Amino acid sequence: MTGQLDRGPARADLLQSLTGLLLVLFIWGHMMFESSILLGKDAMYWVTKMFEGEPLFGKPYPLLVSGVAAIIFSLIAVHAVLALRKFPGSLRQYRQFSAHMGAMRHADTTLWYVQVVTGFAMFFLASAHLLVVFLQPDNIGPYASSDRIWSGRFWILYALLLVAVHLHAGIGIYRLAMKWAPIPAAGSKAMRRRLRFAMWGIIVFFLGLGSASLVTYMTIGRDHADHVGERYIPSYRLNSHHAVPASE
Amino acid sequence: MKRIPLAQASRTLRLQVLRHNPRDPASEPHLQTFEVEEADSMTLFIALTEIRERQDPSLQFDFVCRAGICGSCGMIINGRPGLACRTLTKDLPQDIVLAPLPAFELIGDLSVNTGKWMRGMSERLETWVHNQGFARLDIDSLEQPMEPALAEQIYELERCIECGCCVAACGTARMHEDFVGAVGLNQVTRFRLDPRDERSDAEFYQLVGTEAGVFGCMTLLGCEDLCPKELPLATQIAFLRRRMVAAG
Amino acid sequence: MQIIYTDVLVIGGGLAGQRAAIGAKRRGHDAIVLSLVPAKRSHSAAAQGGMQASLGNCLGGAGDNEDIHFADTVRGSDWGADQVVVRMFAHTAPKAIRELAAWGVPWNRVERGEREITVDGSRQTIAEPDAAHGLITSRNFGGTEKHRACYVSDGTGHAMLYTMSNQAIAAGIPVHERMEALALIHDSGRCHGAIVRNLMTGELLAYIARATCIATGGFGRIYRVSTNAVINEGMGAAIALETGVATLGNMEAIQFHPTGIFPAGILVTEGCRGDGGLLLDVNEHRFMPDYEPEKKELASRDVVSRRMEEHIAAGHGAKTRFGEHLWLDIRLLGADHINNKLREVKEICQYFLGIDPVRELIPVRPAQHYSMGGVRTDHRGESPQLRGLFAAGEAACWDMHGFNRLGGNSVAETVVAGMIVGDAMADFCDSVGGELSLSSALVNDFGRREQARLAAIASGGNESAFELTRLMQETMTAQVGIFRDRERLEQAVSTLQVLQLRSRDIGLRSNAPGANPELVTAYRLQRMLKLAQCVAYGALQRTESRGAHFRADYPRRDDLNWMRRTLARWPEAEAGLPTLEYEALDIMQMELPPGWRGYGARDYIEHPDTALRKQQVDEIVATVADADRHARQQALMPFRHLLPAHLRHHNQRLGDTS
Repeated sequence: MTGQLDRGPARADLLQSLTGLLLVLFIWGHMMFESSILLGKDAMYWVTKMFEGEPLFGKPYPLLVSGVAAIIFSLIAVHAVLALRKFPGSLRQYRQFSAHMGAMRHADTTLWYVQVVTGFAMFFLASAHLLVVFLQPDNIGPYASSDRIWSGRFWILYALLLVAVHLHAGIGIYRLAMKWAPIPAAGSKAMRRRLRFAMWGIIVFFLGLGSASLVTYMTIGRDHADHVGERYIPSYRLNSHHAVPASE
Repeated sequence: MKRIPLAQASRTLRLQVLRHNPRDPASEPHLQTFEVEEADSMTLFIALTEIRERQDPSLQFDFVCRAGICGSCGMIINGRPGLACRTLTKDLPQDIVLAPLPAFELIGDLSVNTGKWMRGMSERLETWVHNQGFARLDIDSLEQPMEPALAEQIYELERCIECGCCVAACGTARMHEDFVGAVGLNQVTRFRLDPRDERSDAEFYQLVGTEAGVFGCMTLLGCEDLCPKELPLATQIAFLRRRMVAAG
Repeated sequence: MQIIYTDVLVIGGGLAGQRAAIGAKRRGHDAIVLSLVPAKRSHSAAAQGGMQASLGNCLGGAGDNEDIHFADTVRGSDWGADQVVVRMFAHTAPKAIRELAAWGVPWNRVERGEREITVDGSRQTIAEPDAAHGLITSRNFGGTEKHRACYVSDGTGHAMLYTMSNQAIAAGIPVHERMEALALIHDSGRCHGAIVRNLMTGELLAYIARATCIATGGFGRIYRVSTNAVINEGMGAAIALETGVATLGNMEAIQFHPTGIFPAGILVTEGCRGDGGLLLDVNEHRFMPDYEPEKKELASRDVVSRRMEEHIAAGHGAKTRFGEHLWLDIRLLGADHINNKLREVKEICQYFLGIDPVRELIPVRPAQHYSMGGVRTDHRGESPQLRGLFAAGEAACWDMHGFNRLGGNSVAETVVAGMIVGDAMADFCDSVGGELSLSSALVNDFGRREQARLAAIASGGNESAFELTRLMQETMTAQVGIFRDRERLEQAVSTLQVLQLRSRDIGLRSNAPGANPELVTAYRLQRMLKLAQCVAYGALQRTESRGAHFRADYPRRDDLNWMRRTLARWPEAEAGLPTLEYEALDIMQMELPPGWRGYGARDYIEHPDTALRKQQVDEIVATVADADRHARQQALMPFRHLLPAHLRHHNQRLGDTS
């Protein structure tokens, strides 16, 4: 065999899948932590401080959060650029695909289109969210976040992002499994049924969890609307250090 | 005994056929409706033949074996690709829309040039056993032994009849004309599995390690779900993807 | 008119045609294959059950060799075959299978150790030896002494055709798809190629070739109920007949397959019975042992088909609104076997009958299946009348099947004949006689003639091509079927003559540009009627019963008067009947003189030469008593010198020392 192999396509395909996987794992973690609000403001406060490195450094460094946001943003950028190769590249291709999808009435084909649409939407939604987090990393906390969501009307952005990200992630992880996993041919049909079931389970779970958190933030935000800007002081600090204002 | 179906209330089927004769400058693609009295065990082969013999002798379509073995009669049946010869009308609604397989050159009406496409694919992917020993092949002595299970495994992949349904069912192929489709990728796995083929993974990579090859596949799984021979296409493509990433 | 030049023109893209093209190409000659359909869609793909070759690897095949394959084939042919050709075939079949094995066919292999099989209705356990592990295995088929049908599940033809096509692609052989030869270009006993119609555009082209090979398969579609693909209309044989020079051999020898599914006529393989399946009647009684105690369900196809029709006529068929049928029972083979080794059968039952053969019976009735007759050739595959015209496979009367072909011998013939004819064509091209020598005027004459014929149809009368085709098919199925007699055959001959006249008044309802399927039906019908007439008229003249040709009014095989091959010519295009001539089969040259087949009817009219030749054979065998079987055979009927040099060597088998 003469000549070098062009490893580009292999690496691009693998990298798209890997970035996708990392982003899915990230968003699942993100959901878990953000939904700590369901356990109470203290819990959410604690999680926030943990991410700012307080348990490690003794005091919070919100810049860490900016760093994470930058990393996630670059993962998204890489993932998006790689995924763009697969998007319909012209109106003609788009029409071909949508005619095909309409005629086929085939779930996995339609789900891909859902990914295209949600992916495209997240271009803007996720970027906006990440930009806010990146620029105002200290603006996260039980009250700060709730104020942003309610009084800052960010709930509109988050509601849309919530739906987009979980459809995209759930379908994506299912597709990743079908794309790479060594499933024996003999049981592949049954395995695919299980994976599909798991996909919908995951999507429903995270949409439920996300919606509940969002509503909770909105409720706190509404109740706190008159005190926008005030930061939350956890109950355990209230007990030990009276009235020491903490930055969030 | 058993099951030769007895008379049932017969329906008048309405077959809407997408007609177009590219040889005729006056021809515009349009749907033409034919009415056919349904008969017992009527297949689309029987219905279309009857239309040609009694109603419109210019109707073009392709049948050869009429037994689901040769792969000539792939067409779009109510939006999805399938083999017309073994599609029983009793499994379809009264209104049946037939269109030629997309992604292939149209010859006329329901007839498309799958042969040209498949030959091109075969030449491009070199879908034959490559073996240095052919020049001095000894056909007088005992054949090389092969594990019985391996022979059956190879046949499993060899059952492809190149009907083109997987290509027509593939959103990727619809958008990207140079995509080799599940038919091509499956054949590469068939020859890769075959110990008589001496090609290395690096050589296979040269053939399918591209965006038009295995890395172009977006795992929409239309191929897997619409393959008339129920080949394990999803697992084969996943397998090939892993091998090619390892080789690339 | 566009003219394309090549060394070798192969008309037909099935197994025989592609193998012949590969053979010629390897010898350095350009070859072009014409095919009505993409080559991989050829009807070769429909061969399900197996390919006969005497490898003898598995237990059921142990002890098999060319001698037994030869004898089975000759008996199967009811002594109608050319025994030299059968020898060439039986000798080359193992080589063909080994070549295909190297090229990529995933033949099923012998698995060492114990396994369950179904024999004569009951389960048995056998143990395959270690030494055979991994070698090509084989299954039982009708009319054979050994398990000799090598197979790839029940997609044998498909796997073979794909491998062959892929090798043809590898060899860079162009296949011009959707091309139909309308006429052979010929003058003074020499064929120069063909006038061809493009089935996409409707244009006519000329292909000029030094050697032309017809490999277009059979002509089952002259019958209403046939297992054949819709493209099996015999156009290759028809254009050879229309030269008026070349002859067609034994056209009355038509095989009916016992197990066409009822009523569609789609084939389910003989492997069903070979693997242990049974035939049952309306009372689910296994009736074949009553008629054929020796071979039961596994007598040759002509015998089983006749017994089935006999049994239906006696009132034991299952009645439906479409007519009567019998049952094929493969339930006893078990789900595992059916799902692995008979999966096409399972799919066909599922899709066309809506039944599961693991649990239910399959309705079957004999259906037209194979044409033993075809373009008469010599042992090299060349027409004795038209130099440069070759034929291979079902389209040819080579003649290794005589009056009945054994299951699994047809795919074997395609490849073997392809190997031999490919070399013969290369030899011809290399010879002085193989030089091209024709004028462009001749090519244009033939082109204009075909153009005029098409124009005549397009400006024709009121007859419908579809209607006349149906009438021809119904006549053939009703009157030239399994049971024939003078009255029915005379009726058929006269009906076909009327249809032939009417076919001159075919008119077209459509004149759409391009292929125009109605025009295709019309011009094919005119040619098919001539083939049908060769069958009916040949059957009428043959006043005996031999193999698949059964005359109720002449039920005995008549070696005294009919040790002859029918040759049909059609010298006058407008004539209503072919000219029949007969070619004697010389018993005194036979390695295996006529006798009882081992199944079927026992009484036949003996030829005086039979006893003489038997005595001679005994004497010859006695003189070489110490020699090995090859030398013994050589003394009786030498054939190896007729094969291409590279195909003459002995075939090695398991246990052979060399």
